[in-house]
Order: sequence, then C-alpha cells, then structure tokens
Amino acid sequence: MLARDIMDTRFHTLKPDETVAQAVKMFQTASREEGKKIFGLIVVDDADRVVGMLSMYDILLFIQPKHMKIWGEMEDLEPDRLFNDLLGKVKGIQVGDIMTTEVVTIGPEMHILSISDLMINKHIRRLPVSEDGRITGMVYISDVFYHMLTQFLD
Amino acid sequence: MVFIERRTVLSGMLVQEAMRRRVIRVSRETTLSDCTNRMVKNKVAAVLVTAEDDRPVGVVSKTDLIGAFYADLPVEAAAADIMAAPPLFCFPDDSLESAIDLMHARGVHRLYVSGAETDRVVGTLAYPDVVGLLYRYCRACGKSVSKARRGTEDETNRSRLRVGDVMTTSVRACKTDDTLAEVIDNLTTHRCGAVLIRNPAGHAAGVISKTDLVIAYKHGEKTGTPAQVIMRHPVLSCDANEFLSVALQQMLLKDVQRLFVYKDDPALIVGVLSLSDSARFRSGSCRACISGRLIVGV
Repeated sequence: MLARDIMDTRFHTLKPDETVAQAVKMFQTASREEGKKIFGLIVVDDADRVVGMLSMYDILLFIQPKHMKIWGEMEDLEPDRLFNDLLGKVKGIQVGDIMTTEVVTIGPEMHILSISDLMINKHIRRLPVSEDGRITGMVYISDVFYHMLTQFLD
Repeated sequence: MVFIERRTVLSGMLVQEAMRRRVIRVSRETTLSDCTNRMVKNKVAAVLVTAEDDRPVGVVSKTDLIGAFYADLPVEAAAADIMAAPPLFCFPDDSLESAIDLMHARGVHRLYVSGAETDRVVGTLAYPDVVGLLYRYCRACGKSVSKARRGTEDETNRSRLRVGDVMTTSVRACKTDDTLAEVIDNLTTHRCGAVLIRNPAGHAAGVISKTDLVIAYKHGEKTGTPAQVIMRHPVLSCDANEFLSVALQQMLLKDVQRLFVYKDDPALIVGVLSLSDSARFRSGSCRACISGRLIVGV
C-alpha cells in the first residue's frame, strides 16, 4: 500500500500573504468540507509549491505572552482586556511570518510502513505528497492508522 | 575608613536565575525572510547562527535585518551575509550585574549563555528576562503593595516609584509622511527600538518598532514607503503618574518592549519607558529598594 492509495486528494491550502484571520477561517472551512478536524494547513506559493505549514500550534505560540510565568503569579489582572490586547498583536501578521518553513514531504510511491516510520520518528501527523514539486495530496496519521490496523483486524 | 558600597536588588543573583533555556537557532544558509519568521514566531529579537556541528558562529538581530532592508538586500539573502560574529557569551554562574554591564558596554540587547563546553549554548539572557525577574522579586517582597495592610496604604503609595521617575525624556519621532529609510536613520542614529510617528499637528499617531520594520521588509515593502503605511496604532502608552509596577506589568503581559509616556493628555507624549531602561535601573518598583541599595560599611 502506497502513499497515492491512501492520500486524501481533497485538501485546503493557504498562501503566505494571507492574514492570520483568513487562516483561522480556512481551518474552519477545511474541517467542515473535509469532514475531519484540521489542525494544520499546507502553505503553497502561486506555483503550488510547498513553502510551509501552518498549524494551530504555530498560531497559539505566537499569541502566547512570552513572559507567561508571570501571569501565573498574578491574581489582580483583568484577563478579558489583556486577552483582547494579545489578539490585537495578530493585526498585520501574515501566514508566512509564523508558519513552519521546514516541511517534510513524501513522494506518491512511498510505502505505508515507511510513512508510519517517518511520522513516528519526526512526530508528524500529516504529510503532503509532492509530485514534480506540486502538492497532489495529503496523508494523515489517521489514514495510515486505519489502513494498517483494519487489515489486521479483519 | 568609611566606604559606601552600592548594592542593587540584583546583587548576588546569577545569570542562570534569569536566563531562558530556549535558544532559537538558524543555519548560515537560512534566508533573511526565514530568520524574520523565527523571530516573529518566537518573539525574540535575534537568532543564533550555528554551523553543521552545532557550534555557534554568529548572531542575526533585528538591527542587522533592518540594516539589510536599508541596503536593499533581497530577503532571500543568507544569514551568513549579515550576521554579527562572534556571538557574545556569558556563563550561567556569572553575576547578573556583570552580564548587564557587558551588554551595556557592548551595546547589545542579549548575551548567549554557554556551558562548561564553550561550544555549547545553553541559554540566552536579554533585558526583558531581567525585568521579569525584578518584577517577580518585587511582587514577592514584604514591602510589596499587594501585601500592604490597611491603614498604611497611603504611605506605601507614596514610596512607590512612578513611571515619571524612571522614564527617558528624549522621545525620537518621525512624521507620518517620512519614508521608512528616514525612520531607520532615526532609529539607528539614536540606537532606540522604536520611534513615535507624529501627525502634522504634532500629536502621536502611531509607532514603528524594529519588529514592524523587519516585518515590512519580509512583506516586500520598499524603503521609500511612507511611515503611516506600516505604523501601528493606537500608541501603547501610560500616564507619567502611573505606578512603575503597573507599567512593567503591562509591558510584560503585552509583549512590548516600551510604553510611551504622556502627561495628562494621551496625545502629548513626554517620554518613553523601555524594558531595557528598567533593567538597567536594577531596582524593584518602590523606594524601599533604592534605600536598600546603599550599604555603609566601616
């Protein structure tokens, strides 16, 4: 069983110059249309080449105050106002500013066992499938999991 | 013989108490665009450039990136083209005071912390980390306002430092139609982290910080772009009469390096309070700290 057999060809992408607000909307759209929870989206340039990956983690990391330790020691804060201020930081920030730029991609001929090995070793939950530099599909850890395990269970 | 020794809150504290263990690294080939990405994402003002064997070889700071922007270098240029080398180091068991002195003397905003093997970087120390430490010290202090008993509140408030006591009164400013090149000129000449942008009436209209400039560079803005296109507004500010502890809290929580200071009218800026000034001030936020700094010995 190869990447091309289990990959999902229905996937959503982001552009590096989209805003964080647009990205958040795309997470919702993608989750709805693909019928699964989407935690990360691939970022492609105008020629459909992968330039990065934006995950919810990247966005949360950016919003999180750097001096978080101090928050825990304060009991006299107005959390709502500060929270609004934090979200204000997102203004003017684009997907390309906070995305992860080192993205591992796989070829369509990669075997499911090699894919699972890669996911385990690199702690990756989704792998874009690249053909001639263009993205043609996505393999999610759940696809790998169910394809491998249903065989054993049947 | 009588001598007076100046002691500060930081006396006796070590680098390892304030340093951060997370070091953001890039390689020599990493593009300037990707260096900016790492800085924005991790909220750091510099990244460490390391060789293939993890050896630290240089530093790319926001200041270096702004220099590249000014010189019209493409954002695809490599970190190695603009990095400052070698990085400046201190050790985890150095005193915090000597580390701050070194930062001040060399005009840098951070030091890398190396372990027993000098090729291994174990952390970074920057001004905001020192302020964070001071702030926590202050909150835990027996004389802290949060611990003040009823009836002594008035006296406690009198002894608390206010923003006006610590702020810098020279405010660097540009006009809304100045170009980014002029903004960079102003920033680098006066070695400050942000300039105030005034509208034609002379009122505070926005701020451009080093972060805003490196983001503009990454987004492909030109140095001829007018300041008002990329400035951030509203201006984050506080009243000169505000307690220092409140202002520090705001900066640490909002992840900003400075607040502009006004007197009575928010449109009239009279000073700047920056985290690096606060760190160099080396004191908590009430006078109990300052009087405690002088130790008379015989």
